Amino acid sequence: MDEKQKSKLKPGVCIPWEEKLKEIPKISGDEQLIQKVWEDIDALAYMYIWQCLLSF
Amino acid sequence: MAGKMEKLYAERLKRYVTAMRNDKPDRIPIRPFVAEFTAKYAGYTCQEVTHDYEKAFAAVRKCAADFDWDAVVGNMVYVWTGLTEAIGLKYYGVPGIDISPDTGFQYREPPEEQAFMKPDEYDQLIEDPTGFLFNVWLPRVSSDVSQMGQPTSYRSNLSFLKGGMAMLSYFNAFGRQNELLQSESGTVSAISGILKAPFDILADKLRGYLGLVTDLFDRPDKVLAACEALMPHLTHVALSGADPDKNVPIGFWMHRGCVPFVSQEHFDKFYWPTLKPIIEEIWANGHQVLFYAEGDWNAHLNSFAELRDGSIVFHVDKADIFEAHKGIGHKFCISGGIPNVLLSYGTPDEVRDYCKKVIDGVAGDGGYIMDASAIIQNDAKVENIKAMTEFTREYGVY
Repeated sequence: MDEKQKSKLKPGVCIPWEEKLKEIPKISGDEQLIQKVWEDIDALAYMYIWQCLLSF
Repeated sequence: MAGKMEKLYAERLKRYVTAMRNDKPDRIPIRPFVAEFTAKYAGYTCQEVTHDYEKAFAAVRKCAADFDWDAVVGNMVYVWTGLTEAIGLKYYGVPGIDISPDTGFQYREPPEEQAFMKPDEYDQLIEDPTGFLFNVWLPRVSSDVSQMGQPTSYRSNLSFLKGGMAMLSYFNAFGRQNELLQSESGTVSAISGILKAPFDILADKLRGYLGLVTDLFDRPDKVLAACEALMPHLTHVALSGADPDKNVPIGFWMHRGCVPFVSQEHFDKFYWPTLKPIIEEIWANGHQVLFYAEGDWNAHLNSFAELRDGSIVFHVDKADIFEAHKGIGHKFCISGGIPNVLLSYGTPDEVRDYCKKVIDGVAGDGGYIMDASAIIQNDAKVENIKAMTEFTREYGVY
């Protein structure tokens, strides 16, 4: 699949971490942990709407 | 008992996978895609199995155990109307609400002027398919979700919460269903994951068939761009649900992208170029795709033959299975081809004769799986399903 076939928001993403990060003044401790959990839960929401479309 | 079922499961898995790889197993696998038939057999109404997935699961397991099939789908009454009612989806005829309790659920495509995606909204979809689905499509297809820009509501908030939690509980329950099929009757879960073609998504759920056909003439560039925008998402969703052991295929439901629903030219320009790369990427990740070719797709066998050997399993519905076998049987396993009308209105002898004809014609070198042409609903006679099963078990030994 070539670049033209990839939309701007990647599959699996509703609200990119980069966008969420702008709302957080400062992260201390483990930023990757916060990012991973954000992305994992965001992916659930992504799956919800695409499964509504595909399976229901 | 546990040891016996493990052994049986292993035999069945080997049989099923061998056939799907287009090789010759010990005998022809039997893998009927049974939906509301399971309700009839287990003593439930269509309403019960459509609205209560635990009853649907139990009905499948009863059939799997009693008929002794090699593989089944965990629940082929795939639309759980408990969930669709919770979300407020408008496009289903629900047994017991919109239609009789003993009729299978119906998809109700809206009239062209009420299509869930308007003809001037292609750019929105192309720019951000996920955002379009949440912001435009879902509010249109749900009676509860608020439109963008309108005040939110209690019902709108609940639709998301209930829908999300219902979907989570339903999909998680499939894990247990698959375990029970394995432990109770040694039965393989036939497919894992879901795919539809970008073109079919536009026709099925967004523009409607009539709207899309008009778009093919009025705005073909937009149609192509929309299909291309959908591709990575549909690939992602398919792979996310795929069998981690890479044994069973992803289920690919093929609807109205073939001749005569569209012209050969439209298939060549829109349907196939935006599907083929998806299939290739899925195969590159080690997964087969079950082309559940509803209707007659034999006009496109040459296109399907472009795919790598063994990358798909080709299911035959109304098409001539002998022609399909001649065209692509050397590359892909074939399944199906036993007419549903025969299973509903024929006699067991007629069913046996037909199964023999198909087996003699396409199964000689392996690479064939016994199944009806289309999803088996509650009009199929129990004795005919029994005849199909038992005949294949006896006659289909290599």
